[in-house]
Amino acid sequence: MIDAKRFKDEIETLLDQLYDSQCDNIEAAAKAIKECIEKQGVVHVFGSGHSVGLGIDIKNRVGALVPIHIMEMSDFVTKGGVPVEVFMDKKDIFERKQGVASRLYELYDIKPQDVFIVISNSGINGIVIDIADLAKKNGHKVIIITSMKHTLAEGPRHPSGKKLYEFGDIVIDNCGPHGDALLETEGVAKVCSVSSICNNCIAQAMAARVIELLKEDGFELPVLNGDKAHDEALIKKYEGRA
Amino acid sequence: MDIKKQYFDLIKGKIEEAYENQSSVLRCIAQMFGSCMEKQGVVQLFGVRHGEEFVNELNYRAGGIAPFHALRLKDLVLNEMIDQKDIDDDSIYNDVSVADKFAKFYDLDDRDMYCLVSFYGNEPLLIELAKRAKEKGQKVVGVVNKKSYDACGGTLLEYCDAWLDMGAQEPDIALKLGDTKIGQISSTVSNVMAQMITAELYKYFIDQGKEAPVLLSANVKGADVHNNSLTDPYGRRVR
Repeated sequence: MIDAKRFKDEIETLLDQLYDSQCDNIEAAAKAIKECIEKQGVVHVFGSGHSVGLGIDIKNRVGALVPIHIMEMSDFVTKGGVPVEVFMDKKDIFERKQGVASRLYELYDIKPQDVFIVISNSGINGIVIDIADLAKKNGHKVIIITSMKHTLAEGPRHPSGKKLYEFGDIVIDNCGPHGDALLETEGVAKVCSVSSICNNCIAQAMAARVIELLKEDGFELPVLNGDKAHDEALIKKYEGRA
Repeated sequence: MDIKKQYFDLIKGKIEEAYENQSSVLRCIAQMFGSCMEKQGVVQLFGVRHGEEFVNELNYRAGGIAPFHALRLKDLVLNEMIDQKDIDDDSIYNDVSVADKFAKFYDLDDRDMYCLVSFYGNEPLLIELAKRAKEKGQKVVGVVNKKSYDACGGTLLEYCDAWLDMGAQEPDIALKLGDTKIGQISSTVSNVMAQMITAELYKYFIDQGKEAPVLLSANVKGADVHNNSLTDPYGRRVR
């Protein structure tokens, strides 16, 4: 039977699997981000569709790191000159397009020491792969968050024949199932997606570890603490970058 | 203990707490949503700041139920009805006229109901949406962080037929390293509650002897055709 209790039980089991299997990868990502921040770098986060939630969750709140920059899909329209009709076209889905990512990439002030986090559950769509590819070609460290079960079950959509995880220096598997929905039903479709929950836990655990590592190094913490003067000064420091 | 492990343990504890304290409300909300959808209504979602994460968790989601629709400030920016800077500095949440812009831009219907999400539950635009829905006799569900709501004198819940608590502290601090505050839990717990609602909503359809309109991940072969068959009958009212 499908109900709230079954989801609760299964998501808790999945979170245990996620921590046990990905702890070392999250640690490696946290170390890469720590090094980036200590060199005054910024972490650029890109995810299309629901994957954008990871970036939102670790930004703009008390206890959050400031040098995080979300590359927003909507920037294609508001800053990148893509017509809104093209962006919203439901027949030719924008996130699947190849060869347009550089229009987004070039909008931002990206420095050599910056790190990228690229998130996609399926890891097969054009824009996420192109962004990861661009970042890698420009010498940046790339952290990928994806569902290995999903990405390995689907054929590639990108002309390179590659999937997103193949562009990662560090790959974190969010451990979600193919198709993202967790609970088997009696019908064909499964219900209740898990990627946003798993991605948030990865991001929060990673951010907490980054702050711990920075603190161990005695680095002045770029973390919002709710004090207006402190927070405004910090935001000003990264203005135009994050 | 490893701080990463501390976060995972904390979240699991909060998920247990949410289920123990709120499972009957979650079920009741799922029934309200189901009853609205059975009458061809759509559940209109609006989230303030990080509340958008909860909205994303129910709206056009893989393994989710189809008749939800998100009211998004970003849609108004893309269509040049509001300025991006008003979102950036949060002043947009004080502007009740945005409710008119939503009404103009989207195909809203009297059969719809509302689910409004805000950590504080006190923003004028949010209250305006709740008030307008109540005036039309539409049902309203709220999602707030109750400790923060109480601390800042929120009023959203006065308009709500049912509500959920994100269960975080005020402010939402997950962990501490000495005197350094780190991380948050409210959105992750809210996302779990959104999926619990999805599970109960699925059960509602099955218990009524009906087929549940479950969406597939758009990144699974054949999903577009299936998903369009569920959303096309609603025209512009969903997606």
